[in-house]
Amino acid sequence: MLNLVRKDILLQKNTLLIMLPLLIIYLLSGSSVTWVSIVFCVVVIMNAFAFDEKSSINLLLNSLPYTRKEIVSSKYISACVFTLLVLFTIFIGNLVIHKEILQREQILITISIVGIFISLAFPFSYFFKSQYLLIGFGVSFVIYMVIVNTFIVDLNDRIRDLIQIMLSFSNTQMYLLIIFSVMLLYIISWLFSIRIYSKKVF
Amino acid sequence: MENVIELKDVNKVFKGFQLKDLNISVKKGFITGFIGGNGVGKSTTIKLILNLLQPDSGSISIFGLDYKKHEKEIKQRIGFVFDENIFYENITLNEMKKLVKPAYKKWDDELFNHYVEKFELPLNKKIKHLSKGMMMKASLTIALSHHAELIIMDEPTSGLDPIYRRELLDILHDLMQNGERTIFFSTHITTDLDRIADYIAFIHNGEHIFTKEYYKIEEEYAIVKGGTNLLDRDTEREFIAIRKSNHGFEALTANKKRIEDIFGEAIIMEKPTLEDIMLYTKKGREENVESRS
Repeated sequence: MLNLVRKDILLQKNTLLIMLPLLIIYLLSGSSVTWVSIVFCVVVIMNAFAFDEKSSINLLLNSLPYTRKEIVSSKYISACVFTLLVLFTIFIGNLVIHKEILQREQILITISIVGIFISLAFPFSYFFKSQYLLIGFGVSFVIYMVIVNTFIVDLNDRIRDLIQIMLSFSNTQMYLLIIFSVMLLYIISWLFSIRIYSKKVF
Repeated sequence: MENVIELKDVNKVFKGFQLKDLNISVKKGFITGFIGGNGVGKSTTIKLILNLLQPDSGSISIFGLDYKKHEKEIKQRIGFVFDENIFYENITLNEMKKLVKPAYKKWDDELFNHYVEKFELPLNKKIKHLSKGMMMKASLTIALSHHAELIIMDEPTSGLDPIYRRELLDILHDLMQNGERTIFFSTHITTDLDRIADYIAFIHNGEHIFTKEYYKIEEEYAIVKGGTNLLDRDTEREFIAIRKSNHGFEALTANKKRIEDIFGEAIIMEKPTLEDIMLYTKKGREENVESRS
């Protein structure tokens, strides 16, 4: 299974090399570090995912001595590896360019948002295809707006309250809570993707 | 004799197509050609054998093992070739090798280099720039470099020019020299099989018609030609299918001896090609359906 993770990294080698100068430009331009890390993580991870989405590649991977469980799991592991890789690069870049160390909050927010995104995007992409992700987000936005406007008018307020409550916890408590919830979501998504993928026909 | 592949009562239903009670066994140490027209279930059967699809009912065992418990073990011992390119397009063959190699315990770099040299494959050219023939050789090289005991190929000769096809068949023939290897490959170019196949498995519309030794087919089946006056309700029943024309009839039988006994000198018998067998079987089945409905 780790071979599959290795394969993802090898295939992304060129993309990563192209993105490195972009990353430096972004950092030099002084955009928000958190924002840059989230975008780069998502792009690299989804790019790796799209590589393996063609049905011919699915034929290859499934004919090699791997189980479907391993193929899906490798994607979730590579996502973690890529996130760490991007964060590490940004950490170093930030240190060299801005002479400052990445804050704990920034790392935490990046990991949480990327984690949540992947937890939703992977099962969706296994079920449909990653090219429909944008449509999927459009549709869910419309559904959200409909809910806000007709059913639960104060949904935005409620979410705001929830965030307020979370912020009122002491820092360590909050961090633990967030990390724990994201991890739980990630694992559920992982199991769910295995189920979807094991029933796929190529 | 040991069976390497064994399908027992396998059923698989798709929208508008199904495999019905498929029973196919493939003998160890031989080349089995898998024939049938387009869309009769050849690729589906191969996907079932590779566990790319799961049957609705029935059992599939490879090397006497079950995919449910021994998936990786089985796949370690199989080499596969598909008719389409299943490699990443934007990398070179050398890079592709590096991706596949760690998957197999028995990967042999020397063997890989041997085939690369033999086939004159460019290691540093991107895979999408390889010609169809080169691509086939590249697939075969990857499939052969881990000492696979069973080689499964889906239409390996389709789209190849005659020279490449001959070469490929010669390679397959050479591979069989040690007697431990089994090759199972589907094709609709039946002349490929004249040269190398030991067994023929034939399916039509999702049903297994027969798996026979090649020479037995020649012993049992025959194309029969004669005057139409020989045909009546009873004698017509002796044939799989009949084609009538002004000059007489031409028909296929699966029981050469019996036809000889019935008609004696009144008819001419010829050796059927696999194509004849496929064609008449299709015709016979269609007529059966018509007469029943």
